[in-house]
Amino acid sequence: MSLRPRWRKVLSDLWGNRMRSLLVVASITVGLFAVGIITASYDILSEDMRTGYAATNPANIQILSDSFDQELVDQIRDLEGVKDAEGIRTARLRLKTQQDGWITLQIKAFPDIDQKVINQVRLEQGVWPPANRQIVIERYKLADTYAVVGDWVEIEALVGGSRHLEVVGVIQDQSIGAGTVGGGFFLAPAQGYMDMQTAEWLGIPSTLNQLYVTVSGDTNDEDHINQVAARVRDRVERSGVLIYSTGIQRSNDHPNSTYVDATAGILFLLGLLVVFLSGFLISSTLSALMAQQVQQIGVMKTVGGQQAQIMGIYMTLIFIYGAVAFVIAMPSSQQAAYALMDFMSESINIKLQGYRVAYPAILVQVLIALLVPQAAAFIPIWRGARLTVQEAISGYRQNLATLGKSSFDRWLTQLRGVPRPLLISLRNTFRRKGRLLLTMTTLTLGGAIFIATFNVQVSLSDYIDRVSRYFLADVNLTLDRPYRIERIAQELKNVPGVAWVEGWAEAPSQLILEDGSSGDSIVLIGAPADSALIEPILISGRWFQPGDENAIVLSELFQARFPNLRPGDTLRLMVNGRETDWVVVGFFQLAGKSGGFLAYTNYDYLSYLINQPFKASLYRIVSSTEGLSEDEQEQLRQDVEAHLRQRGYRMTDLSTGLLLRSSSSEGLNVLTIFLLIMASLTALVGSIGLTGTMSMNVMERTREIGVMRAIGASDGILMRMILAEGTIIGLASWLLGSLLAFPISKLMSDTVSQALFDAPSDFGFTLTGFLIWLGVVLLLSVFASLLPARTATRLTIREVLAYE
Amino acid sequence: MADRNLPAAGAERSCGRNQKNLAAMIEMVNIFKVFKSPAGEFTVLKGIHACLYPGEFVSVVGRSGSGKSTLVNMLTGIDHPTSGSVRIMDTYPHAMSESRMAVWRGHNLGIVFQFFQLLPMLSLLENTLLPMDFCNRYPPAEREERAMQLLRLVGLEQHAHDLPTAISGGQQQSVAIARALANDPPIIVADEPTGNLDSRAAENVLGIFDSLVEAGKTVLMVTHDRSLAERTHRTLVISDGEFVDEIRRQG
Repeated sequence: MSLRPRWRKVLSDLWGNRMRSLLVVASITVGLFAVGIITASYDILSEDMRTGYAATNPANIQILSDSFDQELVDQIRDLEGVKDAEGIRTARLRLKTQQDGWITLQIKAFPDIDQKVINQVRLEQGVWPPANRQIVIERYKLADTYAVVGDWVEIEALVGGSRHLEVVGVIQDQSIGAGTVGGGFFLAPAQGYMDMQTAEWLGIPSTLNQLYVTVSGDTNDEDHINQVAARVRDRVERSGVLIYSTGIQRSNDHPNSTYVDATAGILFLLGLLVVFLSGFLISSTLSALMAQQVQQIGVMKTVGGQQAQIMGIYMTLIFIYGAVAFVIAMPSSQQAAYALMDFMSESINIKLQGYRVAYPAILVQVLIALLVPQAAAFIPIWRGARLTVQEAISGYRQNLATLGKSSFDRWLTQLRGVPRPLLISLRNTFRRKGRLLLTMTTLTLGGAIFIATFNVQVSLSDYIDRVSRYFLADVNLTLDRPYRIERIAQELKNVPGVAWVEGWAEAPSQLILEDGSSGDSIVLIGAPADSALIEPILISGRWFQPGDENAIVLSELFQARFPNLRPGDTLRLMVNGRETDWVVVGFFQLAGKSGGFLAYTNYDYLSYLINQPFKASLYRIVSSTEGLSEDEQEQLRQDVEAHLRQRGYRMTDLSTGLLLRSSSSEGLNVLTIFLLIMASLTALVGSIGLTGTMSMNVMERTREIGVMRAIGASDGILMRMILAEGTIIGLASWLLGSLLAFPISKLMSDTVSQALFDAPSDFGFTLTGFLIWLGVVLLLSVFASLLPARTATRLTIREVLAYE
Repeated sequence: MADRNLPAAGAERSCGRNQKNLAAMIEMVNIFKVFKSPAGEFTVLKGIHACLYPGEFVSVVGRSGSGKSTLVNMLTGIDHPTSGSVRIMDTYPHAMSESRMAVWRGHNLGIVFQFFQLLPMLSLLENTLLPMDFCNRYPPAEREERAMQLLRLVGLEQHAHDLPTAISGGQQQSVAIARALANDPPIIVADEPTGNLDSRAAENVLGIFDSLVEAGKTVLMVTHDRSLAERTHRTLVISDGEFVDEIRRQG
């Protein structure tokens, strides 16, 4: 079957200039790939996070309280709106790692471990459930224990001495970080799972202290869950059990979903941008294509081709480009998205459901492949097709690509004292201003995003630094019970390197609302009024002072939740089973959402209120040397641990001050990696754009290159001229990108920060991004110009001059 | 009065000395050029032999498609012969790489094209300076003065800082000649230099060539216009890739 000549022309245009076809297809492919990877990732992530978490039958209500028994659990199960309830015992013990260090282990012990239905865990290795004197460890912090299945681990028992347990399995528990207190997934210690008998053997009380409740009806309706929670809390309190905290969680809300939400906004922005940029590229490449086709268009018109027919030919060509790009980008972006999610799934504690096709991504890609190239090509094609025969045949436009009469062009023309070859590069750069603008826009935006990624990371870590101002001690110690502060201070003075120690009080408490019902759980911390280990950032009011009694300073979350609350107002809290009134003296800034409801008060008053005057179980230890590194803090921590252990004290937690900072940044690193991948993609689009521009420039200037050869230009001179042109574009885009990086950094930081912390970010700035991008853009410029430059040196003059 | 002398085509010969006892500056021996195309092989030059002596003004005339441009390309190293050799002074340019040949050409040959081929982004002065920059000829401080002299020679000194688009075709060709002279090459090769010019501009260009020959340059001009060829010392007539006639004039 023979093709009609016009379609044969389409094929020969496709195949005849393979380099150009490759460039157009590459520009479309990169755009489609970026959009595909974003859409598919988000589709996989949100779906698998939601369904994966919901499949564990997550607790909708988690109550941490004083001891209770199974009977209460059974009563709660019968409450209206409650679907199921389970009680567990949690405790913090110390585990000796296989490398002889000690770490904190969060124990979760279950009465009927084999019949547990709420917060189901997924077995990764070994067996579940563990039998008597066996333990199963959660995979996320498994590495901290250095243990593998089959090892025996030593755990310090609450009753003194230590016990050895066999590690029989590794599981994934997606509920880590659920609930309002505890610092979230990234700050959670290693988690160990066992039956009650084993817990008792470790000296842990046989009563329960944590309640998991699932609700019947809509498990994703927060109001409904809150109503049920109020009933449950009421029932618990009526049994005389003291509630420390209550957490509410919808079945679809994975504890780490805030990180995904934070990325989603940014990714959406980036996706749009990449499509926009690849549209630029297509438009610029096709303008050049049309310029080369002018004479052919003239010929076609001479022999009767109408504007619509000619446009049809080129639009078909574009359709084929789009189709080829789709065929390449679709499967590769699906695979890449899955691989990326697989890599991230462990860091954010989700389980992927297995590889599958993300149809929304395909739909978006099909739409973009069909629409964007056609839209981008329409104007160049329309312009080309409406040329008159006379204009087309006479090669009109051929001379348009020269400098014009603008003042910039005049300045360029009058520029003196620059070596001629460099002058040529400089003036060539500005000859095709439309194309230059498109290339510059692509590279500038790509660069701005690249740089902004680094600034975002800084502004987020500034946030974490802010949290650190509330944890300035070198080592934070929690003992299993309160001791007289003086005694512990004396003990610790014997540890080399310890300068001084502060004892702090901590009491879980609950807000009492105006109608007398219980509100949110609040962590109440009592610190010495003159403590140097806390540098609060006050939003309003003041910090508490020596002599203050029921004065309280609240975290910013209170202000967000109770906008009418002001310094001077009174709050009623349930502390240690007693309702007490507190005067709000100020608000401090912590880290927005993630900070939770936190309140500071005077140690003296709080310790008196909880019947532990002069005593504390929380200690802040300060080194005699200022500014210890994390390793040095770790050394001090080990010295403290060894000393206290030898003296017979039992610790439930002992951590370095900087640990908080490094653990918090882990969550943010996940974000940063994602952002960097996207930034690299935009940079890739930019460099393809630059390669395209440089190739088109060289193609168009073939004749000039021939002339320069004829009057004595060597390979080196030609190469340098073209590389210089690429580098000028690269440097100019770096300069513009650096300026643009400021607003983009602010926009991106605010988007992420709002999602993570519910607060706009402080502006973060680092030179790193600017310098790395400078290096990258220079390399890209050289690489993008290298191929066209080589092509230029390989052109023989005969090809460019003799046969015009 | 012209006398005619028909060379024996295809014979392997070397150039002797001319009447002034000068050795040949350019020697083309038995040049064949075959182009291959899907339609088959096509021989454009069929055993060309030619000798050009210092100070000669030689024209090559022939109809369109006779092979004259291909002949010029062989001479300037723009294209390679399929067989045969080209010697220019002591050099066999086809033995060199493209890059080295470009530099050698910049020093020794000044080329003038039919379509002027000035670089559009450079001023006339800068176009004239460019070969000196490329070949690093003359101390940088002297180059601009030399370029101005050359522009003065072709009468375009007052347009030195204009871009090529600001002047007429004839003026552009004059600048192209100034550029060809930039490195003071002993040989000027011009391919249809007046093909795109009106008669007054063409006359001006030929006037410049005359004065160059008087100054001792060797000039080879390709043209299809026999009346222009009348102005040269010697005309080689090419037809179907072979020299079919040689017309010598009183020099």
